[in-house]
Amino acid sequence: MSGDVLNQLKSSLLELDMEGALAAARMVREDRQVAVEEAVAAVSEALKVVGSRFQEGEWFLTELVYAGEIAKEVMGLLSPLMETGAGGLGTVVVGTVAGDLHDLGKNIFINYARSAGFKVIDLGMDVNANSFVNAVKENSPFALGMSCLLTSTDGEIVKVVEDLKKAGLREKVRIIIGGAALTEQFAETAGVDAFAKDAITGIDIIRNWSGG
Amino acid sequence: MDFRERILAAMNHEEADRVPVMGLIMDPTTVNLVLEKKPVDFAGLLKRPVWGLLIRYLMNTNWFWRRMYYGNFAGSLKSAIKLGFDANWTIYSLMKLNREPESALGWAWHDPFGRVWELGRAPDGSMAVNYTRGLCETEEQWEAWVEQKKPVYEALIKNVRVFHKKLVEKYGERIYPIGYAAPGIFENSWQPMGFVNFTKMIYQKPDFVKRIVDFQTDLYMKYLDAVMESGVEVVLGGDDLGQKTGPLMRPELIEKLYGNSYRMVADRVHEKNKKFVFHSCGNIYQLLDKFVDWGFDGIITMEPTAGMDLGKVREQVGHKLVLVGNLDVSYLMVRGTREEVDDAVKKAIKDAGRGGGYILSTCHSHPFVDPKRLEWMIDSAHKYGKYPLSV
Ligand code: B12
Repeated sequence: MSGDVLNQLKSSLLELDMEGALAAARMVREDRQVAVEEAVAAVSEALKVVGSRFQEGEWFLTELVYAGEIAKEVMGLLSPLMETGAGGLGTVVVGTVAGDLHDLGKNIFINYARSAGFKVIDLGMDVNANSFVNAVKENSPFALGMSCLLTSTDGEIVKVVEDLKKAGLREKVRIIIGGAALTEQFAETAGVDAFAKDAITGIDIIRNWSGG
Repeated sequence: MDFRERILAAMNHEEADRVPVMGLIMDPTTVNLVLEKKPVDFAGLLKRPVWGLLIRYLMNTNWFWRRMYYGNFAGSLKSAIKLGFDANWTIYSLMKLNREPESALGWAWHDPFGRVWELGRAPDGSMAVNYTRGLCETEEQWEAWVEQKKPVYEALIKNVRVFHKKLVEKYGERIYPIGYAAPGIFENSWQPMGFVNFTKMIYQKPDFVKRIVDFQTDLYMKYLDAVMESGVEVVLGGDDLGQKTGPLMRPELIEKLYGNSYRMVADRVHEKNKKFVFHSCGNIYQLLDKFVDWGFDGIITMEPTAGMDLGKVREQVGHKLVLVGNLDVSYLMVRGTREEVDDAVKKAIKDAGRGGGYILSTCHSHPFVDPKRLEWMIDSAHKYGKYPLSV
């Protein structure tokens, strides 16, 4: 029986069946036959499959987005029952750099990060270096994520790194970047810790960092 | 041969005297640099008490708006002529200035489709405008919005008609101004709701999504008709269907939701004996066959940073599509060396120029695109683009 619920949760998510996934989540809440943690683990497993389907080009952005939305709603039902509460894997600060108003990619990353169990502080788009530094100061995140789609604004990333150094915060936070304008090489020269070619890779990287 | 014959030959997959070169000039920053004009700091003026009041009033009058918008694109065409382009695009839009506490300046533009456009400053001080979010989160909000905007749509179509026609009358002797009917049906359906929200609607409210697409298709056809009245034989249309690694949606889903609309668009353009060139950013290899199937005559953009390569595109579609593009605007046309620009032009012409059906251009507009690099691009096009090609 308990296995059935977990299977339903996973398969509904992978079939993009919002109703089915929510019904399974409600069952977990009401019947208490399976531990909430197990259900959360099932969601997380399903999301890994979603991620690899997307990375392999089997799934497209709409599917990635909708699976993310289903996971978000399911987690909305499950996380209040978890002992650690939502965001137990640690805090991440995320924003799109100054001058850049692209936010689709950033929002997908944030949604997946939340569903994976991270607490995310979303600074929005067009975020200047000062605001990134202040947010790191105030929230002590273990990771800082920056999105950048324009080559004309990639210098902002370098600026944030420099300002974090000046504020004595660079050693306290790991930095991950993503977005159409960026590459692995850029990440190296900019002095950040990781570049993610897509949101799912990004989640894997920060999960690794958090030890989760 | 003149610029018009050159463009038309390319559109018919014929070799003209040389490969034509098209400008995608529209950003005020570029125009000011080319025409050596001082930038107007609209954003700053908006904040001043008297000027601010006046601009806020004027911008929301049709009279001023039409003049201002016409002025922008007259500037774009003058710049393109000065640089020596054979053609340049012309794009119209209609906006309303609204109080927007969330926006950096406290003001933002709302377009008639339901988008918010953030007003900002380009590095040189001129105005930069960008879509940031939608105004219609729910079905009810969307219905109410389009109902309320009906008179605005009429004004929009009327303005579009006058705008393109006037530009062709004024500059058509010196350059080929290609009207661009934008934003397209895809963008007009998702952007007023936001991508995440619209995606949810696709799964949860398919009938509503169909209604949106039908509505936008109908409106778009009228828009396209108005653009085509300019008298020019080629019309651009567009929607960004791609992102960095592939289409935003599964091609089958795009076919299901938009296939008929795009077919209708291509048919309408052909009924008027014109050619339709479609603009889409991102990685769109998986959609090329659809473009052919829907009846598009050409495509523009083919963004290299998303992995688009003219040679590969030509290999995939042969001469079923005219290709317009695709010099990179992230590095090459901003900071590239003369040699790099020269090499890129040579490669583009070599990959796509044979047998006509190719127009050289950048892959996009961008305020940082450097006019000097545009000059180099044109020089190199004259050097390598002579038919019969020797590259
Ligand atoms: C949609 C779009 C827009 C929309 C943005 C709407 C919005 N609210 O986001 C609008 C129309 C407003 C727009 C405007 C402009 N755009 Co634009 N746009 C695009 C387009 C077509 C798709 C971008 C997108 O949303 N992709 C879908 C998302 C999901 O993908 P993504 O962002 O790459 O994110 C994924 C990964 O990169 C990663 N990721 C992203 N961020 C992060 C962050 C972290 C921490 C992690 C871990 C991962 C991660 O995860 C995501 C999912 O896997 C791209 C084309 C392209 N190749 O991407 C051009 C593109 C980015 N735009 C471009 C340009 C030039 C512009 C303009 C300057 C045009 C102009 N002349 O005005 C303006 C600039 C506005 C501004 N100041 O920012 C160029 C940039 C070129 C360059 N290298 O500089 C591109 C590449 C198009 C081109 N033909 O060259 N654009």
